[in-house]
Amino acid sequence: MSNVAGKAYAMNVITPVRWYTAWLNKLYFWAAVKFPSTLSGLVTLSLIHYARWTIIGRKSFPHLDHRQPKETLKYSYMLFFSNFNGSWEQYVDSFTFAIPSGLDLFWKWNVRYSKSVPLTPFHDYIQYNQIETPHYYNAYPLASSNDVKSAANVRATLLAFERAASQDESDEAFQKRYHGLLRALQHDLGEMHPTPIVTMAANQVEKRTQWQSRVFEAPNAQS
Amino acid sequence: MANVSGNAYALTVLSPIKEGLVAGKEIAYADAVRDRLYDWNELDNSPMAKVPQTYLCRYFVLDDVYVQSLPSGSYPDNRYDWSPYITDGKRRGSLPAEDRLQSRYLVFSSNFHAGPNADLDGYLHNMWDAISDDIREVWGYCYGFDRVSSAATFAAYIKKCQLETTLFFVGSNDDPLPEQLKALFLKQEFARFAATNQGLPAAELRKNYNEFITRVAPEDLNGPSWSPGQYKFD
Amino acid sequence: MNKKLELADIQGNVLRAYGRFGYPAARYVCLNVKNEIRGRDFIAAVTERVTTAIDWSTEDGKKLKPNWTANIAFSYQGLRKLGLPRASLVEFSPEFSQGMKARKDILGDQGPSAPENWDPVWERNGKDFESNVHILITLNGLMPAPVTEDANGMQEAREASLEHREQAYEWLLEVVKEHDDGVAVLGGHCGANGEKFDYQDADVLFEDGMPTAKEHFGYHDGISDPVIEGVPYDEGRVEGRGKLLEGGKWAPLATGEFLFGHIDEAHEYPPAPRPILLSRNGTYMVFRKLHENVGTFNAFLSEHGKKYPGGEELLAAKFVGRWKDGTPLVLAPNEEKRKAFQDKLKEASLEEQERMLSDFSYEDDMSGAKCPFSAHMRRINPRGSLEQVAGEVPGSMIRSMKGENEGAFDTPGALANRRRIMRRGLPYGTVSDRTSDKGNHGIVIMMLNANINREFEFVQQQWINYGNDFKAANDKEILLGNHNIDGKSPSKAVIQVDPESDDVPYIVSDIPLLVETRGGDYFFVPSMTALRLIARGVIDPT
Repeated sequence: MSNVAGKAYAMNVITPVRWYTAWLNKLYFWAAVKFPSTLSGLVTLSLIHYARWTIIGRKSFPHLDHRQPKETLKYSYMLFFSNFNGSWEQYVDSFTFAIPSGLDLFWKWNVRYSKSVPLTPFHDYIQYNQIETPHYYNAYPLASSNDVKSAANVRATLLAFERAASQDESDEAFQKRYHGLLRALQHDLGEMHPTPIVTMAANQVEKRTQWQSRVFEAPNAQS
Repeated sequence: MANVSGNAYALTVLSPIKEGLVAGKEIAYADAVRDRLYDWNELDNSPMAKVPQTYLCRYFVLDDVYVQSLPSGSYPDNRYDWSPYITDGKRRGSLPAEDRLQSRYLVFSSNFHAGPNADLDGYLHNMWDAISDDIREVWGYCYGFDRVSSAATFAAYIKKCQLETTLFFVGSNDDPLPEQLKALFLKQEFARFAATNQGLPAAELRKNYNEFITRVAPEDLNGPSWSPGQYKFD
Repeated sequence: MNKKLELADIQGNVLRAYGRFGYPAARYVCLNVKNEIRGRDFIAAVTERVTTAIDWSTEDGKKLKPNWTANIAFSYQGLRKLGLPRASLVEFSPEFSQGMKARKDILGDQGPSAPENWDPVWERNGKDFESNVHILITLNGLMPAPVTEDANGMQEAREASLEHREQAYEWLLEVVKEHDDGVAVLGGHCGANGEKFDYQDADVLFEDGMPTAKEHFGYHDGISDPVIEGVPYDEGRVEGRGKLLEGGKWAPLATGEFLFGHIDEAHEYPPAPRPILLSRNGTYMVFRKLHENVGTFNAFLSEHGKKYPGGEELLAAKFVGRWKDGTPLVLAPNEEKRKAFQDKLKEASLEEQERMLSDFSYEDDMSGAKCPFSAHMRRINPRGSLEQVAGEVPGSMIRSMKGENEGAFDTPGALANRRRIMRRGLPYGTVSDRTSDKGNHGIVIMMLNANINREFEFVQQQWINYGNDFKAANDKEILLGNHNIDGKSPSKAVIQVDPESDDVPYIVSDIPLLVETRGGDYFFVPSMTALRLIARGVIDPT
């Protein structure tokens, strides 16, 4: 299983919604886009690279060929895909601690949704409806979402610093400007290394799979 | 269109897998597809590393939907909950329905940079050009894929399997991947530069900084950078 | 607070850091259970003398404050050996049943901190049945009030505390002797010169004959322990120790964060083994022996202290978030303010002192100009500071808001309230040469929590050995981080400055490994009721 690719974890959750209330979910999602403060908790948590919700109507599953049997579903389905940093528990926990009402808003019309608090039934609900990812690709396994955003800031700031340079600037003026650069980037100077191991189980799998295991040849992660 | 947020694109694809066994083998098509996906994990890196602009993507096989049997929250779950008298028939009728999928689906979900024109076609063409053999390997047992023979037919096929995203949340950014990777490279290098050049006299600092900028070439996306999917430092 | 805990059912070390209550001398003894039945007889005998959490400030309580305390905890293997039914055993958490050694990759116990370098008693733990640490008994000796206020009086009081500890140990050895067919003391705790002891001592450090709250690096320790609902003797200590609410107010944390059988911050009973009588009023305890590399620390501090614009003492404070005397940097970011704070502190009542040292948040220091993001205190307990986003001014961080008066999160402490740990630490060993790492000295720390994985392990892995939640990529916490354990990835930390000033952020580079793990394990601390049931062998989840 490779739900984990470096610092990112792939979560897939598929949950039924009654076809006649699916429009409510869509309404909330629409509202989330219109009123960005709904998502301020999500933005502040800053644990997600990309996430999406897709509602599939009960009659909208792709049908490609006359030989393919037609779906006969009673419910519509909500697919949730998230690319987040940290372990499953760390992520789910941080979300229920920080934005429980936001989670409830998005899921509350789903059949037998547990609500985000208390935690254990919510854990059970997500786990029950989760699907493993056999193959997960991450273009930057060494970076978290924070790192990606911080990197963009570093690059933009460095380029602006370059643009502000001039030939007749004295060394001292350069130094003063450089100190300003350091100040501007004082929250962007963290160094990136491979992720801490996510769980003991994921660690064991990573050691057994070829391409991941090369990361773990470092003596700091011997078994 | 909710598939798009800024310059980022959320592609959701469900491709129905044929029912039946791989010729001469005791393995169903869908299980064979999954097995091939696991094979990809044994490679030096994912084939998707070769597909331009892919931030993060995943493949899995949707075997079925889950019948809900966990207890729910306490608010009335359906209209029978309001009734003072519940017959066994009503009680049974108000249990969550038992849905079953008729096909198993290969699910491909990709987050990529599509640019201001939400260029899905361009992405799919590039994908075909980069990894058509790998694509055939995982999609080969899907309904309708037999009509795929080129980048254009692949793009047309994928769009038939595509589902519209309801909400797409971009938590990192929607910069082109080469820019993201270059930025990560710069972040790492600058952190090291700042640490090793702390407290130097102004002239020396300036000289070192200029050398540093020449070496890391912040503008140059073809210059030193991280490679897509890079999971270790040399 | 309307919730009252059953103090006589809870072991005393769960709710009290004994050091703060006049017990400066501790001894920790590991035992192996050889025989289930006689082992349970031993538990029964020990239980008779186990110290509970009853209130010592009441009339009755005063009489019951003992000359020495005794408490007991069990490893997973210990509970198994004592015959707990399988159905109960499987309901303990996976990390507890695995034990600390098996979690080394999660905890970062690698390189010099790897289990093969632990004290023999811990290194052998789990290797064979006879070496398994099944039971941990912790003893503390009371220091009576000094008869005279001079150095002699203090010296006498101190000797009395050591005498009390010896009495406790003699009692224990006597009970062990009576049950030597059931249990055996495990030796192999390393002393100052490598000699092996049957016990681990830990003692408050004395300076000029007076007890201090310092550890070997010279910092005041153990100031901001969490305060939970239902503890009468903690009612005046909530500010800065409970959970931060909107508007800067504090409330005690939900009891269930630290005690089974009580509602936790997620409004549920924390997952715990059945039957409820086994787990209720019990908790998990993380025991760790941490060696402090004093020589390395001093050399490292002095090297950077010469370069750091604020000088060595301020830099030392930046490492921790407090000046060495305990003054919080957030309240007193420079020497002048530190002095003023200390002058005021000396005038204050004991209760007021406790409040002064702990009552603050990072509301006015979101950018880390006073207390850096990698400082010990900010990493261990970020209070409300993780509700943060980048501000307009480059290099600044601000509190993230949803509305005008409403933070982005459910509550400001949302990400911190369920990551708290009760810490019970005392220094061990003595440092004779402050330029050397040699010898055996550090801190024995016991950390209590209802969920080892969510609380202790999370803090250890994500906040100490990693920095993502603090926007610091892989940069580690300065004091406890497992720096450079592979010899290839030296750590660094950024000392932030006021983004609107002309100051220059300072990068503490090449941080060496300052603290090494020398042993430890995960234990279950049962209630008094559970102890009696375990002793009788009648635990039954049926």
